[in-house]
Amino acid sequence: MSILVDENTKVLVQGITGKEGSRAAREMLAYGTKVLAGVTPGKGGQTTEDGIPVFNSVKEALAQFPEVNCALIVVPPQFVLAAATESIEANIPLIDILTEKVPVAQVATMIALARKQGVVLVGPSSVGIISSGKAKIGSIGSSELVHTIFTPGNIGVISKSGGMTAEISRIISEAGLGQSTVIGIGGDLLIGADFLDIVRLFEKDEDTKAIVIFGEVGGTYEEQLAAAMEAGTITKTVVALIAGQFSEKLPQDTVLGHAGAIVSKGRGSAASKVASLQKAGALIANTPEEIPVLLHTIL
Amino acid sequence: MKLLEYQGKELFQKYGITVPTSALVENPAAEIPLRFPVVLKSQVLSGNRKKKGGIKIVERKEDCFKKLEELFTREIDGELPQKILVEEKVSFIKEWYASLSYDTDQRMPALAVSEKGGAGIEAAEIFPLEFTRDSWQLPAKSFPLLMQRVLNSLLELFQKEYALLAEINPLFELADGSFIAGDAKIILDDNVVNPADRPYLDLPGDIAILASGGGASLLNLDILMHHGGNPANYVEYSGNPPAAVVEELTIKVLSRPGLKGCWVVGGTANFTDIYETLLGFVQGLRKISPKPTYPIVIRRDGPRQKEAFAMLKEVAEKEGYDFHLYGPETAMSESARILVELVSKT
Repeated sequence: MSILVDENTKVLVQGITGKEGSRAAREMLAYGTKVLAGVTPGKGGQTTEDGIPVFNSVKEALAQFPEVNCALIVVPPQFVLAAATESIEANIPLIDILTEKVPVAQVATMIALARKQGVVLVGPSSVGIISSGKAKIGSIGSSELVHTIFTPGNIGVISKSGGMTAEISRIISEAGLGQSTVIGIGGDLLIGADFLDIVRLFEKDEDTKAIVIFGEVGGTYEEQLAAAMEAGTITKTVVALIAGQFSEKLPQDTVLGHAGAIVSKGRGSAASKVASLQKAGALIANTPEEIPVLLHTIL
Repeated sequence: MKLLEYQGKELFQKYGITVPTSALVENPAAEIPLRFPVVLKSQVLSGNRKKKGGIKIVERKEDCFKKLEELFTREIDGELPQKILVEEKVSFIKEWYASLSYDTDQRMPALAVSEKGGAGIEAAEIFPLEFTRDSWQLPAKSFPLLMQRVLNSLLELFQKEYALLAEINPLFELADGSFIAGDAKIILDDNVVNPADRPYLDLPGDIAILASGGGASLLNLDILMHHGGNPANYVEYSGNPPAAVVEELTIKVLSRPGLKGCWVVGGTANFTDIYETLLGFVQGLRKISPKPTYPIVIRRDGPRQKEAFAMLKEVAEKEGYDFHLYGPETAMSESARILVELVSKT
C-alpha cells in the first residue's frame, strides 16, 4: 500500500499549457501516472503535445472526465487562489499545489475552503508526491533518475524542502530500504497538509513501517507532530532531520529559511523542534546519511 | 519585509487608526513644531531599540538638538537611523497590546490582545479569526467600542496590505475613552511586495556557499559549521534557475574579498538541470578578478549531472581552476569535511 497517490490516481493538471505544467505532465505520464485532462482558461479545445485534452475550467474537464480524483496546480502565483477554489468547489479529494510564492493571505483562504469541503490540500511550494513504483504527481523525481532514487519499500518520507525529498529517498534506497510514499509538503508559513496530517495517514498504512521527516526552523508543524506523538496517538517510529540548528548560533538578528511564524509561544526554533521531537520519542538524525543508520536500528 | 515604525504609522493613518502628533526629522537641527514633552524614536528595524537607548523623552525644546544628535549617531544592532520620529508624549490611563498575524497551530489568521501593553504577544490571549462565506471576521468578543474600531481598521490593513504581522504595542487608552497607537510593527508578505527577492545574507566567515534549495541550504550551513568551516554567506536558489541567474548569484557570492574556499552543493535534484546550473556557475566564476585560486568543492547530482561534470573537468584543465568534483557517492557532509580540510591547508 501507500498513501494519497497510487495506480488509481487520475490527474487533472491546472496550468498544463505552461512550461512547468507541461513538463510535469510529461514526466508524470512517463512514470505511468494517469493524466486525464488539463485546464488553462482560454485554451479549451486544444490538445497538448502529449495528447492531453485541455479545458477552460475544472467544471468542463470534470463533465468529460468525472473519474478525476486529483488536481495538480502549476499556475503563476496570482492565479493559484482562483485555480484552487475551482478544484475545491468541484470536490476533488486531493489537490497538490506546486506553485511557489503564493501570498500567505490567499493560502489561509484556500485552507479554510478545503477544510469546509473536506478535501486534502498539499502545498503550496510542494514538489509533488510519489508512491514508489506506482504513480507520482508533480515535479518530484525526474525521469532520468526516478527509478534509481525512488524504490518501493516501507519508509514514508515527508519533507518541507523539495530538494531534500530526492536526496533522502536516494539515501534510503541505497541503504537497501525503499519508500511507500514521499511527500513534499512545502516550507511556507501556512501549508495545506502538515507533518501531523500526513503522519496520521502513514500511521494507518500497513506498508509503512517508519516515517522520516525533514523539517526546518520556523513555524510550529514539527512541534505539533511532537505533541501528538507525546499524547500517544502515533505509534510508528519517526526519524527527524531538522535544518537550521547551527544558523541559530550565528551573530545575526535575521531569521533564515522559510517564513517564520509570529504566534509561536516560544516554539519555532530548530532547537525547540529537535528537543520536542526527541522528548516525544523521535530519532534525530544530524545528517541525511544518519537516516538509514537510525532506520536499521528499529527495522 | 519589515517596515520602520513611521512607515507603519503612515499605514495606520491610511486605515483610520490614530497616532500621536509627530514630526519626522532627518537632521538634529530640524524645527520641531510640537508641544513638549516629546518622545524621540530612532527609526531602525531592531526589536531591541528601547533596550539599546534608541528612545528618549525630552521635556524642554532647548534640549532637543543635543538628544537628537545623540540618537543620529547611535548605532543599534549595526543600523544607524536615517530618520528620527518625534512624537508628542501621550497621557494614557492604560496600555494594551493588539496584533493580527498567522497562527500556524490553527493555520489561519489570529487576533492577539492583552491588557498589558509592552509585554508583547507572549502574554496575549489568542483569538483565531472566523471564516464566514469567503472572508475573515474578527471573533465575537467584546472589547471597548472605540477599541473595536481600531481592531476593525487593523484587520482591513492586515488584509489589504498583505501583512504577515500588524502589531500595535502599546495601544494607549486615554481618559476620554479614545485609543492611540503608540508603536507600529508591520511585516508585509514578501511573496507580494518582493516576489523576485532571493534571501541573501553576508556572514563573517571565509567559505563562499552556493547551495541549492531552501531547506538544503539551511542544512548545508549546519553541516559546514559542524565540520568547523566558517560560511561567508547564505543564499537560497531553488527551482530550476536559468544559467544567467546562477551566473549573477555566483558573481555576488564570490566578489567578497578574503575568501579561502567555495562550496557548490545540493542534494540530488528532482528537476533542476545540473548542466545549466553549473554552466551559470562557470560563467560567473570567469568574471571574478583576481581569478580564484582557492579550492572549489562541487557536490551536485540530478538531471544532466554527467554532462555537467565533463564540462567542469575541461574548464578546470584549460583555465586552471582548483575544482574538486563529487557526485551522489560522496555525502554532502563528506564534501564539507573535504573542503574544510583543503581550506585549512592553504
